[in-house]
Amino acid sequence: MLIEVLVERIQGVAAELGQAAIWVSLFSTIWAIAALGIGLQLKKIGLLKSGRNAVIATFALISLATAVLIFSFVTDDFSMRYVVEVSSAAQPLLYKITALWGGMSGSLLFWLWLITVGSVLVVWQNRKANDTLSDYALIAVTIVQLFFILVVTGAVHGVYSPFERYANGMVMSDGKGLNPLLQTPSMAFHPPTLYIGWISLTVPFAFAMGALFSGRIASDWTLRSRRWMLFSWIVLTVGITLGGHWAYQELGWGGYWAWDPVENASFMPWLLGTAYLHSVMIQEKRNMLKLWNILLITLAFQFTLLGTFITRSGVISSVHSFAQSDIGWYFLGFILTSTAGIIGLIVYRWQRLKSANRLESLLSRESAFVLNNWLLVGLTLIILWGTLWPIISEAISGEKATVPEAFFNKVVIIPGLLLLFLTGAGPIISWKKITFNNFRRMFILPIIYGLVAAGVTWFFLAYRTYTINVAAEKDMATAVSDVTTPNIFVQVWESLIFKDHPIPIYSMLCVFASVFVVVAIFNEFYRGAKLRGKRQQTSLFSGLLQLIQRNKRRYGGYIIHIGIVIVYIGIMGSKGYFLLESKSLQLGDSMEVGAYQFTVEDTFQEQGENYNQAGIIVDVEKDGKHVKKMKPARNYYFKAGQGDQDTIESAIHGIGMNDVYIAIGDLPQDLRNGGLVNVQIYHNPLIKVVWIGVFVMVLGGLVAISQKHVHKSQEAMA
Amino acid sequence: MKKRRLKIFAASAILLTSFVVLVLSMTKKESMPELTPSQLITNADTLNNQNVQLVGAISEGSSAWDAAKFELTFAVRELEGSEKVNVVYNRLKPDNFTDGGNVFVEGIYDAEKNLIVATDLQTKCASKYEEAESSEPASSSL
Repeated sequence: MLIEVLVERIQGVAAELGQAAIWVSLFSTIWAIAALGIGLQLKKIGLLKSGRNAVIATFALISLATAVLIFSFVTDDFSMRYVVEVSSAAQPLLYKITALWGGMSGSLLFWLWLITVGSVLVVWQNRKANDTLSDYALIAVTIVQLFFILVVTGAVHGVYSPFERYANGMVMSDGKGLNPLLQTPSMAFHPPTLYIGWISLTVPFAFAMGALFSGRIASDWTLRSRRWMLFSWIVLTVGITLGGHWAYQELGWGGYWAWDPVENASFMPWLLGTAYLHSVMIQEKRNMLKLWNILLITLAFQFTLLGTFITRSGVISSVHSFAQSDIGWYFLGFILTSTAGIIGLIVYRWQRLKSANRLESLLSRESAFVLNNWLLVGLTLIILWGTLWPIISEAISGEKATVPEAFFNKVVIIPGLLLLFLTGAGPIISWKKITFNNFRRMFILPIIYGLVAAGVTWFFLAYRTYTINVAAEKDMATAVSDVTTPNIFVQVWESLIFKDHPIPIYSMLCVFASVFVVVAIFNEFYRGAKLRGKRQQTSLFSGLLQLIQRNKRRYGGYIIHIGIVIVYIGIMGSKGYFLLESKSLQLGDSMEVGAYQFTVEDTFQEQGENYNQAGIIVDVEKDGKHVKKMKPARNYYFKAGQGDQDTIESAIHGIGMNDVYIAIGDLPQDLRNGGLVNVQIYHNPLIKVVWIGVFVMVLGGLVAISQKHVHKSQEAMA
Repeated sequence: MKKRRLKIFAASAILLTSFVVLVLSMTKKESMPELTPSQLITNADTLNNQNVQLVGAISEGSSAWDAAKFELTFAVRELEGSEKVNVVYNRLKPDNFTDGGNVFVEGIYDAEKNLIVATDLQTKCASKYEEAESSEPASSSL
C-alpha cells in the first residue's frame, strides 16, 4: 500500500522532473562548451575544470531523465504519451524497459544518454594527464550532445518530448504496446548495441576534431582514440549481426540480410570504420594519410547521423522506415552545418595535414592498405548510391525508381572478393616494395593451397550438378517413356562443364581467396611462434601465446581476418545454395526438401504472457531415420491494439553447420478435418558458419583492444 | 619518381572507372520504377510486362488466401484515393499484413488484367505503432 502511494506520488512529478532535467542539461552543456573553449584560449585551468564538471553534471541530469522514463514504463504511467505509444500493462518487464528505445523520442533520449556517458569517460581518461587535446575533443562531443538535447526537449517542431503528458490530465487505460515483432531478445539488444557502436564512434571523431582545433595533427589523436574506435567496431559488428539474427528468426523469410535502407544505414558506418582502422596504421607507421584519416572518421560519424535522416525523413520508402517526422531534416541540417565547419577547419590546417611520405610502389603493404581503403569506401558509396537511388532517379528523370536486393548482391561481389583476397595479401606483402624473395616465401604456398581448394570445390559442385541432372533426367524418363538415360560419362562431362547451370565462378573465387587468406595468416602465426619458441627455448604453443601477448593489436587483427573468411564462406553457402519449398499440407502429409522428409504430425497450442501460440508438430526424417520434431507456429497477440496481430514463429533446427527452417501460414479451423496448412521450408547450408565467423571476429577484436598502449616504434600491425 | 606517380595515377583511374562502370551498368539493368496504383494504371501500356515496385495500402476486405493453391490475392489501393491494382503472391503471408497496412510489392505487371504477379511482398513493420511524430503535441509538460 505504502509502495503504491509512493509510486503514485512519484508518477505525479516524474514527467516534469525528467523534462526539467533535460532543460537544465541544455544550459550545463552550453556552459561546458563555453568554459572549455574560453579556458583553452586563455589557458585558464579553472575554467577547464569547470567545463569538465559541467560535462559530468550533464551526464547526471540525462541519467536522471532516463531513469525517470524507465520508471514511468515499469510503473505503467499511461498519462505519458510516449509510454502509451510503445508499452502496455501486460508487456513483460524486459520489454517494458527496452520500450525506452522502442520509439523515436525514447531512442533519442537513450542516444543522448550514451553520448553523455562517452563524454564523461573522456573526462575520466584525462583525469591525470590534464591534456588539452582531450578538452578540445570534449568540445566536439558536447556540440553533438547539444544538438541531441535540443531535439529531445520537444521544443523543435515535429518531435514530441518523451516526457509529454496528455492534455487536461487525461490518463489512458492501457498502452498500445511494443510491436510484437520487437518483443524478442535479439531485438531487445540489437538497437542499444548499434547505438553504443555509433556513439563510441563519436569519440574518435571528436579527437579528430580536437586535433584540427588544436593543430596537433600528428599521431597522438589516433593513439588516444584507438581503443574507442576498436570498441565501436566490435559493438557495431555485434549490433549488425543481432539485427540479422533477429530478421532470420522472426520474419519468416529464411534470410538475414536484404539490403534494406535501415540495414544499409547501419552497415555503411561499419565499412568506413573498418577502413579507418586500417588507414590509421599507415599514419602511425609511415606518417601518411593524415588528411584521409580525418576525412574517414568524419565520414564514419556523419554516416551514423545520415542513417537517421534516411530512415526518419520519409525521403526513402522502406518497409523498415520508421514513423516519418521532421527529425530527419534536423539531422541533415546538423550534418551539413558540421560538414561546413569541418571543411573550414581542414582548409585552416591544410599545411599540417600534408603527408611526410608517399607510396613508393604499387605492390607494397602501404598500397594494399590504400587499396583496401578504396574498396571499403567504394563499397560504402555503392551502397549509398543504391539506397538513395529513389532520390537520385527522381532528380535525374523526374520518375522515382528503386533497385532490388539483387542489385546490391551483384555490385558488391567483385569488390567484396578483392577485399577478401587483401585480408590475406595485406599482412604478408612487404612494406615499401615487394621483392621476389618476399613473393616466393610468403605467397607461393597460399596460392597453391587456394588453387587446390578451388579445384576441389569445382568437383564438389560438379557432383552436386550431376545429382541434380540425374534426378531431373530420371523424372523425365519416368514421365516420357521414350527418353533414355544418357551415358554416365556424358553425364559426368556435362556436370564438369556445368551444362544448363551457370559456372559457379564466384564460389570458386571465394574458396580460392578464403584458403589463400587462411594459409597466409596461419603461416604468419606459425613462423612467428616458431621463431619465438626457438628464442625463448619453449614449445611452439607457448611461443604462439607469447607472440599474441607481445603484439595483441597485430595478431588480434589477424584473428579478425580469419573470422571474416569464415563469414564469407557462410554467406557463400547460405545465399548461394539454399533450398526453398512451399506446399499446402494436411495432417499426415509429407514433403521433401533436399535430403530431408517432413511430415505434419499434429497441432499444438500454448499461451504466452501476452499472446496465444498455435502451431503444428513436424517430424523430420533423413533416409527413414528420425532427426527431430519441430514446432513452427504463429503467435496471436491479444493486448490493446494488437488483437489482430499475428506473427510467424519459425522453427529452426541446426544440423551440423546447416539449418532446416520452417515457417507456416495461418492455421485453418478445419485442419483436423482435412484442412490445409501452408508450409514453407528452407534448407540453409553453412548459415551457422556466419554466426561463428562473427564470433571469431569479435574475439579477435577483443584481443586487439586488450593492448593498452601502442608505441610508434612497435610494428603498427599487419 | 614521375613514372611511379603515373603508375599509381593510372591504377587509381582504372579502379575508379571500373567501379563507376559496374555501378552504372547494374543500376541500368536492375532499376525499376517505384509507383503508386494510380501512376501504374496511368502508364499501364508502357509498363506492361515490366518489373515494377508498387507502393500503397492493402485494400480493405480484398485479401483472400487459397490454401490449396498456396496463393494470396489482394488489391493495393492508393494511400489517399480509390485506384487499385490486383496482386497475386505465392509465398507465405508476411507479418503485419492487415487491411489498410502499407505494402511494397515487387513483380511483373500485367496491364490487361491490372495484376502484378509478385516476387516480393513486404509490409511496413517494426514501428507500426508509432504515430506520425509530426502531429502536434497534446500538451506540454513544462
